[in-house]
Amino acid sequence: MTRPRITPYSAAHGLGAAGHAARHWWAQRVSAIALVPLVLWLVWALANGGATDYAALSDWLKSPINTILMILLLIAAFHHAALGLQTIAEDYIHSRARFAVIALVQLACAAGGAAGIVATLLIAITS
Amino acid sequence: MVDHSDEVDEVPRLKWPRHFPVPRDFGVAKGARIAEGKSWPTPEGATRIATLRIYRFDPDGDEGPRMDTFRVDLDDCGPMLLDALIWIKSKVDATLTFRRSCREGVCGSCAMTIDGTNWTACTRAMNELSEPATIYPLANLPVIKDLVPDQTHLFAQHALTEPWLKTETPAPERERLQSVEQRAVLDGYYECIMCFCCTSGCPSHWWNGDRFLGPAALLTAWRWLADSRDEGRGERLEALDDPFRLYRCHTILNCTRTCPRGLNPGKAIAEIKRMMLERGG
Repeated sequence: MTRPRITPYSAAHGLGAAGHAARHWWAQRVSAIALVPLVLWLVWALANGGATDYAALSDWLKSPINTILMILLLIAAFHHAALGLQTIAEDYIHSRARFAVIALVQLACAAGGAAGIVATLLIAITS
Repeated sequence: MVDHSDEVDEVPRLKWPRHFPVPRDFGVAKGARIAEGKSWPTPEGATRIATLRIYRFDPDGDEGPRMDTFRVDLDDCGPMLLDALIWIKSKVDATLTFRRSCREGVCGSCAMTIDGTNWTACTRAMNELSEPATIYPLANLPVIKDLVPDQTHLFAQHALTEPWLKTETPAPERERLQSVEQRAVLDGYYECIMCFCCTSGCPSHWWNGDRFLGPAALLTAWRWLADSRDEGRGERLEALDDPFRLYRCHTILNCTRTCPRGLNPGKAIAEIKRMMLERGG
C-alpha cells in the first residue's frame, strides 16, 4: 500500500465514489446464473450427437430454439467474460495501463460476441 | 547515476528477462529482508518453557528487520500471549515494543500476526501456540517499531464511513427509541473493536488498500446502515457505490475467519451489497 504525501483523510477519500458499481456487480451475478443452464444445455446437446460431424452440427444449430439458445449463450458468456476480466484488471493493474486493458477487454469481448452471433445466424439462415 | 564501473567487461545485454516473470527476490529491497536476530537464553530454573520468535524492526535505526528468539518461563507469567510479551518486556528485553491496553479483548490494541493468523495477543492462550511460535506485526501496514503498525490510513477509512447517527428529524425530548427487534439487528455488527485483524488479513486490501475500504470499515458502515434510527442511508450508500470502496470485496472471507470477536464482516458486506441492489444500483 503506497502512502501518498497528502492528508490521511484525503488519501482515504481519493476522488470520491464513482457510482454504477452496483450495476456491474449485479450484471456479473445475473450473467453467471444465466450461464449455468445455457452451458448445461450446450454440453447436453453436443454430447447427444449434435457434434458428430459438420453437417450434423449445422443441422442442429438451424433449429430455431437452438439458434436462440446459442445466441443467448454467446451474449451471456462474452458479457460475463468482459465483466470478469475488467474486475481482474481493476484488482491487479495499478498503473494507467488499466484503462487501456479494460477498453481492450471490452472491445475484444464485443468483437468475439458479434462474430459468434453472426456465425450462428449465417448457419441458421443460409442453405 | 547508477555506478556501472564494475560492469565494464560485461557484454551488454537485456537484463529484465533473466528474472522473468518474477523479479529477483520478489522485488523486496535488501534492507527489508528479515535477518536472524538475537537468541535469548533459557531463563534459569525454568521448567515449562515456550519459545517465541518475534519480529523486531526500528525504521529509524540503521539495521533491517530481524527475528529475535525469546524463551518464556510459563510458570512465571500469565496464561496469555500478551502476558508473555509483558513478561519479556519487563524481564528480558525492555526494548520490545507492542501496543496493549485492556488485556481482555475489548480495546483492539494488541492485534498481531500470531503463528500466521491475525488475533489479539490478550485473547490467545500460550498453550494454543506452536513451538516455536512466530509473532509478526499486522501485515500490509508500515511498521512504526517492532509489533506496532501505523494504522493511520485504516482509521481514515473508518472515518470515511461516518460512523455516527445521522438524522434530519429534530431530536426528541428523550432518546431516539428503538424496539428490541430493531436493536437485535445490530447484534454481530456493533461489537467491532477496530483491531484491524480482518483488514490486515484481506488480500483485496493488500492489492487495493488505498481505495478499498476493507472489512473493518465496511462492517461499521453496515452497522449504521442497519440502524433503524439512522436517517442517512441514501448518502451512506451513495458513498459506497464505487468499484473499489465496496466492490473490491471478492468474498475471500479471511476477515470472518480471523475476527477475534467472532464477528462476520463478510456477511456485513453481503448485506450492504443486497441493500445496494434494493436501492436499484
